[in-house]
Amino acid sequence: MGISIAVCIKPVPDPAHYDKIKIDPVKKTVVREGIPTILNPCDKHALEAALQLRGPDGLVTVIAMAPPNAEETLREALAMGADAAVLLTDRAFAGADTWATSYTLAAGLKKAGNFDLILTGTESADGATTQVPAQLAEWLSWPHLWNAVAIETAGETALKVKTKAENEWSDYQIGLPCLLAVSREANKPRLTSLMGVMKAKKKPLTVWNRCDLDVEDASLGMPGSPTQPGAIFEPEMGRKGIVLSGDAEEIAAQLVEKLRSAGLSIETGDTCAPGGAGV
Amino acid sequence: MQFFQFTEEQDMLRKAVREFVDAEVAPKAKEWDENDHCPVELWPMMGELGLCGVFVPEEYGGAGLGMTERAIVLEEISRHSAGLGIALMTHHLGVAAILYYGNEDQKKRYLPDLCSGKKVGGLSVTEPGGGSDFMGQKCTGELKDGMWVLNGRKCFITNSHIADVDVWTVITGQDEKGRPVMTAFIIDGDAEGHAPGRKEHKLGLRGSVTGDVVCNNVKVAPSQMLQKEGAGAKIAMTTIQEVGRAGMSAINVGILRGCIEEGVKFANERIIYGKPLSKVQAIQLLIGECRVEYEAAKLLTYRAAGMRDAGIPCATEFACAKYFSTEAAVRSSKRIMDAMGGYGIVNEYPVGRFLRDGLASIAAGGTSQIQLLIAAGATLSGK
Amino acid sequence: MKTTNPADWKGILVVGEITNCRLQPVSHELVGKALQLKQDCPAAGEVSVVLIGSGIAAAGKEMQTSGADELILVDHSQCALFHNDLYAAILKNIIEARKPSVVLFPATARYQDLASMLGIRLDTGVAAHCVDIRINETGDILAVVPAFGGKVLGDILCPAHRPQMATAKPGIFRPGEAKPGHTAKVSAFDAGGVIAETMGKTRLVALDAASCAVPEGIPLEKAPVVVCGGWGMGSKENWQLLGELAGMLGGAVGCTRPAIDEGWMPDESSMIGTSGKVIRPKVYIGAALSGSSHHVCGMKDSDLIISINNDPQAAIFEVSDIRVVGDAKQVLSALIERIRTIRSA
Repeated sequence: MGISIAVCIKPVPDPAHYDKIKIDPVKKTVVREGIPTILNPCDKHALEAALQLRGPDGLVTVIAMAPPNAEETLREALAMGADAAVLLTDRAFAGADTWATSYTLAAGLKKAGNFDLILTGTESADGATTQVPAQLAEWLSWPHLWNAVAIETAGETALKVKTKAENEWSDYQIGLPCLLAVSREANKPRLTSLMGVMKAKKKPLTVWNRCDLDVEDASLGMPGSPTQPGAIFEPEMGRKGIVLSGDAEEIAAQLVEKLRSAGLSIETGDTCAPGGAGV
Repeated sequence: MQFFQFTEEQDMLRKAVREFVDAEVAPKAKEWDENDHCPVELWPMMGELGLCGVFVPEEYGGAGLGMTERAIVLEEISRHSAGLGIALMTHHLGVAAILYYGNEDQKKRYLPDLCSGKKVGGLSVTEPGGGSDFMGQKCTGELKDGMWVLNGRKCFITNSHIADVDVWTVITGQDEKGRPVMTAFIIDGDAEGHAPGRKEHKLGLRGSVTGDVVCNNVKVAPSQMLQKEGAGAKIAMTTIQEVGRAGMSAINVGILRGCIEEGVKFANERIIYGKPLSKVQAIQLLIGECRVEYEAAKLLTYRAAGMRDAGIPCATEFACAKYFSTEAAVRSSKRIMDAMGGYGIVNEYPVGRFLRDGLASIAAGGTSQIQLLIAAGATLSGK
Repeated sequence: MKTTNPADWKGILVVGEITNCRLQPVSHELVGKALQLKQDCPAAGEVSVVLIGSGIAAAGKEMQTSGADELILVDHSQCALFHNDLYAAILKNIIEARKPSVVLFPATARYQDLASMLGIRLDTGVAAHCVDIRINETGDILAVVPAFGGKVLGDILCPAHRPQMATAKPGIFRPGEAKPGHTAKVSAFDAGGVIAETMGKTRLVALDAASCAVPEGIPLEKAPVVVCGGWGMGSKENWQLLGELAGMLGGAVGCTRPAIDEGWMPDESSMIGTSGKVIRPKVYIGAALSGSSHHVCGMKDSDLIISINNDPQAAIFEVSDIRVVGDAKQVLSALIERIRTIRSA
């Protein structure tokens, strides 16, 4: 019996197009029209890690809590190499914050099987709270680590994991079952092969709604969330917007003046702070 | 009449190819064109992704798909690099000749490595005397001491310098009426006496190698013959007609899409008289014409590919698709150049390359006039 | 899900961060925000700071003059290495004992993790990566959080649950200032019990930690000048220009993600944006980068923003004081040359 791994994934609007996102001035809602939905980029690293850890007898199940059209994203994950997919979808799940999202996902994972390991990305491109991995682990009472850059097995029941924080690497041993949020630096996700695409349609994809899960209605969706959204708006970006013109030399001369008036000493190189060269 | 639509799998497949192209092709296409570098290094990855053997059954290491899926692959690659497009499409010619006309032994021996991208395929037919004067070929094969000895020079051969498996047509004698007997052989690229010759310095489709291939007393075993003596003409003809022209059509559908996407990007970004270029009606007309040509080329190409997958003869349809899509690629890239003004001729923008690639596509797989003659011939004979 | 009575909760707790025995500057920044909240709503209560680690007396001393009213030190040899399960258990103990109405965490790799865990353990909400936090007269918090890479900001409220928790990245808030002579009252939290209990059942073992290689020169967050490059720099060779200019101006080099993908920068430590660093230099120079909202979110508060891009429609120009439409390589080379000429004169 090989390792059984669940990978939590999320369909998100393609971050390459976030500049097109607008706020409807009347309805005060986010307008994301014309922006394609993709598999959250960080989640691909989690899926890649799972496929590498799977071994010949292992099983990788992808799971998402999302609207019904997320089936397409799950199929993409199956095409990349996952063995099975589960979609948790119900109107009652809508508007969930990370507390209610992790609660629902935990219920889905409990029902889906006895996993040895759950992998997630470090964050979603849209909300980017980074909270769901830790919170999911908490609901399951499993240990977890965030931002794993290297994962290796340590015997049958544990993993050795290296994580990265801002200034430090840490080494941990973590007992199974556990949850890891996989860093973007951990691997390079594989590309999907044509054979993978053709196999994906034959792989099982299960859809569950609220009635299939052992959940309390009061803990679902926006009503069940401790945090509540208020107004949304676009950040203020008031800037001067002076356009410099001329050839490169003329522009350089103007830039030197701008740097001077910003308080930099061009003559000495002794600028506002001591120190050497950059990278 | 059936409604024309790609299947869900085909859409997913296109997305998967696009992911590969965005990561590995788009960022380097300009460089390949400038340095005329054929990215042979991508073959193993393309093999792993199923692109090298897209229409080869799984038992021989392929993806088990068809001509429609192959057209999708070539369109997506050629959206950014028609040079790599034609290199891969020519690899497919070698693969197709062996898959459709090889015996079980030959298929088992050659296809797995060609599908995995371990080896690059090629098909050498054209000679200095011309490509469309098909039966006027001068290369010869002679049976001596149980081995076939091949001699002669092929020219304008894509993948000339990179093919590890090269399918050749040679004249092996005359029939009872004195007509030449053409026979096809599979030659291992490293066979003694088989070597690339001069390399052409091309106007377009750079990033693919085109040049001479020479056989100088190359000895091949009879087991390297495809089918039987005299089958060479049919093998070369059908491969070029139904696989080669299909490929050139799809490549140019890719160029056409490139024209539209680059044109739209430029028209939206460039500000003229205080508003984006895309608001100017004269520019809109140019974009509109490109769109119509892209749609038409796409329909012709994929319909012919669909016929091929359904086992319906489609040489005429591919001739029409090849004629239209290559000519349209030239017109559309010229149109986008017009829309871009001075920027259009600057090599930072790919549209100049699209024009050169479109022009170079016309000569590959039979010129436009040849395609028109095929279309006319079929029409006049009531087909 | 249970709700709590807000009236039972009072005070603002800042969770400070110590890494490798060093107090992280974000701790001061969070205290700065906490003091501002206290000023805006005196009813919110006192500002306390908790620090966890081993051998943290020096860090504690530094924190004493941060302006906070109280400092809680959890100094234990078992806390030498970061252990999320243990740290979360300790914080849960402290929070349940003291019932603060607001808890602020650094949005760093380790401490956002703790905030997330405590959201479940304490049954409450966590506002992530706040760019602002405001308070009303009754002590309710309104947190402003970014979404879609900072293109959209949204208010987050936590009306029925306490404590109200929020995280903020380093560089978002200004450090607090203590009144002259003011020092925080210090208390030690005896974590022996919770440590024994947690370590007895956890499946997580912290083995070792090592400092990451820090890029030479001034850290990005402290550099008065940041020269930041994007994908449009085109090559490793052109990329060198950024370092050359930054060196001349006593600054540091930053980047956007494509530069890491291209291998021009070694890792994410120099990446600026929502998933990287937030900077606020005197002068920011952006070269050949488009200005995606992810990136803008990390540099928009720079004093002077100069951008160079050959695309007049690049989004970065929207947030720039000085716009240069042109080839970044040429402009940077000319600027370097000009400064060199001035200096040799």
